[in-house]
Amino acid sequence: MSRNALLAAVAVIALAGPAAAQNRVTIQWQTPNLTEAQYEPIWKQTIAEFEAANPDVKVEPILVARRDHWTKFVASAQARQAPCIVAVDLTTAAAEGYLRPMDDLWAKEPASFRDAWAPEMLSAAKWEGKLYGLPNWGGTYAEVYNRELVEKAGLDPKNPPKTWDEYLRWSKALTGPDRWATSILGGKTDTTTRVLLTWIWGNGGEAFNADMTEATFAKNPKSLEAIKFYLGLFTKEGVASPAPTTTNYLEQTVLFAQGKIATMRNAYWSIAKVIGDNPAIEGKMFVAPMPSNIPNAPTLASVSAHSISQSCRYPEQAWRFIKFDMDKKWAIERAVKANWMPLRRDLVNEPELKADPMLAEFVRIGANARSYPLPHPAWADIAVNDIVDAVQKALLEPARTDEIFRDLDARVTRKLRQ
Amino acid sequence: MSNTTTTTNTPARSWTGRGLARERWHGYLFLAPTLLFLAAVIVLPLFHAFWTSFQRIRGLNSTFIGFANYVRVLEDEAFWHSLRVSLAFVSVSVVAHVLLGLLLALALNKITFARTALRVLFLTPWMVAAAVGATIWLWLLEPQFGVLNYILLSVGIISAPVAWLGTPGTAFAAVTTVEIWRGVPFIMLLTLAGLQTIPAEQYEAAEIDGATSWQKFRHITLPNLKYLLVVASTLDIINVVRHYDIIGIMTGGGPAGATEVLPALLYNTAFRANRFGEAAAIGVLLLSMVLIFAAMYLRITRVGQEDDRR
Repeated sequence: MSRNALLAAVAVIALAGPAAAQNRVTIQWQTPNLTEAQYEPIWKQTIAEFEAANPDVKVEPILVARRDHWTKFVASAQARQAPCIVAVDLTTAAAEGYLRPMDDLWAKEPASFRDAWAPEMLSAAKWEGKLYGLPNWGGTYAEVYNRELVEKAGLDPKNPPKTWDEYLRWSKALTGPDRWATSILGGKTDTTTRVLLTWIWGNGGEAFNADMTEATFAKNPKSLEAIKFYLGLFTKEGVASPAPTTTNYLEQTVLFAQGKIATMRNAYWSIAKVIGDNPAIEGKMFVAPMPSNIPNAPTLASVSAHSISQSCRYPEQAWRFIKFDMDKKWAIERAVKANWMPLRRDLVNEPELKADPMLAEFVRIGANARSYPLPHPAWADIAVNDIVDAVQKALLEPARTDEIFRDLDARVTRKLRQ
Repeated sequence: MSNTTTTTNTPARSWTGRGLARERWHGYLFLAPTLLFLAAVIVLPLFHAFWTSFQRIRGLNSTFIGFANYVRVLEDEAFWHSLRVSLAFVSVSVVAHVLLGLLLALALNKITFARTALRVLFLTPWMVAAAVGATIWLWLLEPQFGVLNYILLSVGIISAPVAWLGTPGTAFAAVTTVEIWRGVPFIMLLTLAGLQTIPAEQYEAAEIDGATSWQKFRHITLPNLKYLLVVASTLDIINVVRHYDIIGIMTGGGPAGATEVLPALLYNTAFRANRFGEAAAIGVLLLSMVLIFAAMYLRITRVGQEDDRR
């Protein structure tokens, strides 16, 4: 190569490099899960492979602690600077105008891609008929047990409790000095609400009427009965760990990992968290349907969807990343390593997923599940503030439980109708 | 002498003179960057907060609703509950800050051994970021794995783990204790500086007269520190009434609202309930409270300056 040709080549590279960099757009990605240790290697690999395949797009992850996730999103959305791709409380965010409808992008996709989502799954990501998110992963709630503690208490892991009476009998047997059967969740996060709803549904109760215009925590006798039984595990029976008003997902999983509690009501992702906290517990857990007082009681399935924010300047690039992240490969990685259940119906028979008996059991239990969050614009407020406050008050003053939940009904009904 | 020379060389001019008028504008020009910066970071956000308090905000849309947010806030029992919690939190914290700060300052003023090291040691809580300090305390107070319960159980003071942040009384006591732990060094520092300005002759004269330690404290130390303590208390009230970080991290205002001071209510209304208009109204009401104390502070300092001039 002559010297002139070499110089020309260097000049072309020098000019082309910055030009390509100038055309490269940056899209931000914020979900509450990016800070979780079991997911970190997966999302890093996803971004690396996406950027290699799409050199015109740079994906910038926004790492924010779970408890600050919504605050940061709202603050940035109010400033019209929200990250392009977000996983948030979809109905509330859509009703507030923070999200961009995705129907146009969805419509352009081939049927083979769109068929991967069941219509009822997509309906969980819609608000007023418009699609605001693509369901990505979920979590079905079930009862997780520590096999060693169950056996040590003289109970049979092959016959876990099916009714509340049996559950109470087990709980008493599993409680001992400095060890309890379970934890009541009463901390100020919506996990408190999720678990409470499973108890209400497990007794044939309802927390709201059919069109979500009225709260029925106290009005529905089955609901109130369930609330009293559940909170009574701490206030009356003494089979739940201390400090329920400060117990959230984090504390509950730490207690379970340390063998302080023998059972926890949680989703599949808690398994990876518990093993991360205490690797020695791996293989010593089993999962079973939640005990209930009615046949075929529904459980709760939390649905996490990827949405595009209203302030996103590059929706096409954001959609490209969302599709990439929805790919089979990542869904299986997330399921196997981070324990997040895939929501694509075409993955049900994937061998890697079927090979995990615990995941298979969660999938089986999830066949009869109600999706969460509930579809109302005020849901984020109701779930984290009103319901949690009522649970805390009832834990502190059990004698006033009826009155506290009657007040809750009145307060929440006003919000639902505003 | 030099003043006289200057006066001789520069003819006296009134402020209405053209030259000085130009100089005055030069002064404003030099101040302009600072004034613009202050306007951008203080005045504009303040006006925006006022404006927001008159709006009904629904996500990215807003509607002017006049004083409706104020009416709703003032009619809500949650506001009055938070106000009561705030008053209790501020009262206990400030009284403890001043008493403990004064005691520590008196002790440090007497001690000659390792004085610098001890001063740095006592200042540490104040130097640590509030969020970091609160997180450390959160884990110290954790019921199952916390160090405090471990120690108390080990020495037999308690028979079962205590959920320090799990019940209203202990949660309030815990966040107030952490606030006291963090705020005492500031008052200690101010008081220590004040103690060192008291002329030693006053103590010497009192000793000659046979005054006891208590009499010296009552009739020399306290009168000399009176002005400083009032100013420090007022500054501390202004400081503590706005605090959110410790409570935000340790309890978030719970359990059942037991530690929901006004800044916590503001945060929860804005970011948990998504009611920005009402949150802004709470903010304006909180600001009014702070302004009352700020006016008190300005009045006290002005009176103090006038006393000094006399």
